[in-house]
Amino acid sequence: MNWFAWRQHRKQFIVFGILLAAFAALLIPTGINFWHQYQHALTTCAQNPNTPSCSDLTNSLFTSSADGFIRIAAVLGTFGLPILVGLFIGSPLFAKEYEEGTNKLAWTQSVSRRRWLTIKLAWALGFALLYGVALALLITWWSRTLNAMTHYRFIQGHFETQGLMPVAYSLFFTAIGLMTGAWFRKTLLSFAVTFGVFVVCMTSFANWIRPHYMAPVTVTSEVGPGAIENKIPTGAWVLKRGDLVNKDGKEVSFDLPNFPAECQKLTLDIQVPNGSHVAKIKGSGVDPVVDCLNRYGFHQVAKYQPSYRYWDFQEIESGIYLGMTAIAVGATYWLVLRRDA
Amino acid sequence: MGKSAIQTKELGKKYGSFWALENCNISVPEGRVSALVGPNGAGKSTLLKLLTGLSNASSGESQVLGKAPAQHEDFLAGIGYLAQEIPLYKSLNSAEHIAMGKNLNKHWDEAFITNRLKELGIPLDRPVGKLSGGQQAQVALNLALAKKPKLLMLDEPVAALDPLARHDFLSSLAQAVADGGLTAVMSSHLLADLERVSDHVIVLASGKTQLCDDIENVLKEHKLLVGTRERSKILGDGVNVIHETHTARQATLLVRVEKGTKLPAHWQQQEPNIEEIILAYMGQAKERGAQ
Repeated sequence: MNWFAWRQHRKQFIVFGILLAAFAALLIPTGINFWHQYQHALTTCAQNPNTPSCSDLTNSLFTSSADGFIRIAAVLGTFGLPILVGLFIGSPLFAKEYEEGTNKLAWTQSVSRRRWLTIKLAWALGFALLYGVALALLITWWSRTLNAMTHYRFIQGHFETQGLMPVAYSLFFTAIGLMTGAWFRKTLLSFAVTFGVFVVCMTSFANWIRPHYMAPVTVTSEVGPGAIENKIPTGAWVLKRGDLVNKDGKEVSFDLPNFPAECQKLTLDIQVPNGSHVAKIKGSGVDPVVDCLNRYGFHQVAKYQPSYRYWDFQEIESGIYLGMTAIAVGATYWLVLRRDA
Repeated sequence: MGKSAIQTKELGKKYGSFWALENCNISVPEGRVSALVGPNGAGKSTLLKLLTGLSNASSGESQVLGKAPAQHEDFLAGIGYLAQEIPLYKSLNSAEHIAMGKNLNKHWDEAFITNRLKELGIPLDRPVGKLSGGQQAQVALNLALAKKPKLLMLDEPVAALDPLARHDFLSSLAQAVADGGLTAVMSSHLLADLERVSDHVIVLASGKTQLCDDIENVLKEHKLLVGTRERSKILGDGVNVIHETHTARQATLLVRVEKGTKLPAHWQQQEPNIEEIILAYMGQAKERGAQ
């Protein structure tokens, strides 16, 4: 059975191997190059601290259009490659057998249906695992320059591309492809549903689920431009940055009606004429207003997940995905073994 | 009578609220080639899928080669099955299908299938999707035969084939049966083809068994009676009318005569052929269905 599973699916495995190799061919030389450029810049800046670009390396290094392309390609590749395995290896694996009726050929050979299923699953998920690990190692290694420079690996859009996540996503989306294929028995439908699951998971985890793995750290500061930013440590994933809190401890938006009357008066000249709109003064440097708010006991609040929780979050989220993978695999067993051919 | 290769008791399969097969009782002795006939939607495919373990029965039970159909290799090793759509891996060639059979079966007669496909002039290195329908059917049949099954079940394998390919296919089947040790059930609605290779018949119609017996017995038990219309009501016990046709004055009855029953003398007796008998049963089921 192993020989046949390989023979049947080797084309997809090879194509994905090539895809991964192409991605590596893009990332390995640029990863080395980025690291050297960054180290060089650090050395230069240590020797000549007055070099203009040294004050803001983040915005002066790797900003050429070629480097920009590579940075986008790296992120898109790491987002895209796991879902592609789900779509092109997971979805058709069972759906195509059902569509072409070959499941009836396979299930009347002298191999139990359970064994057939287990071996097929093992090949698909085993491949997804290897592929995910290779992808994770590659992108995590490649990202070390930008991580050191920008400290953004915890932020959504980057959290998903590094560490354990590419492995978890590869396994999960492959399992979803396999399950929906066995469920709907139509490759295209399984394809569409798997992609839908991908979109839903990516948006809902980043926006609504991940922020709650641990209670965020809350810091407050007086009202004023930059005041709250100084209290947020480097590399944190900031969930709330500088919302206004009134003297009763209630969070209010930066809108005029929430200001004490005296402070409102100070801002009259920047109010929008029709009165229904209110002018935001956040960070505008309108010092009398800021002074006024502080005098009335207002302050600003920020919530963040500190950078030392990065690996905890990686473990929690990949654990959730592995749990969902196990459920999808269990459902696939049920769908294939219990339902009629 | 020898052991049964297939024995079912009140076997049924329900899809939603529709019974595709109901109270099916059949028995196929070992060594027979049984023709499973019936109109489209009669439940032939459903029955074969239940007997191969590909689907699960909703009611009743069945014994196939002495075991309840299952997904286990012990059961599967004994049967060969060819599904209606003749499924093959279209992008793989015949040699790879042969290798698949070797990989997925404990007993595998590679020499048999390789020689057979060569005899038939089927190129082993061409993707099977590019072979003709007749060639694909041959590949599929010989894949089923090469696992040396004791029971071969074929679901309308010749329906899509042209007459020559059909002839070749049935010759292959007849040859395999002649080699011995094989029981076969083949469904079809092409009665003439079945008559050539089978010695047993199962008639299914409207999800129910209408007839299940050796063709020899079936022919013995059925008579075609011709007489005047008035007499058709007075046939007596032991004579069951399966189907009747009338002209203005004459009635033609196809009847099943129980053993030891004497037929009334005033009827003109004829021997019906198997095709007439099968059609009569299918017609009877249809009339009942319409009532």
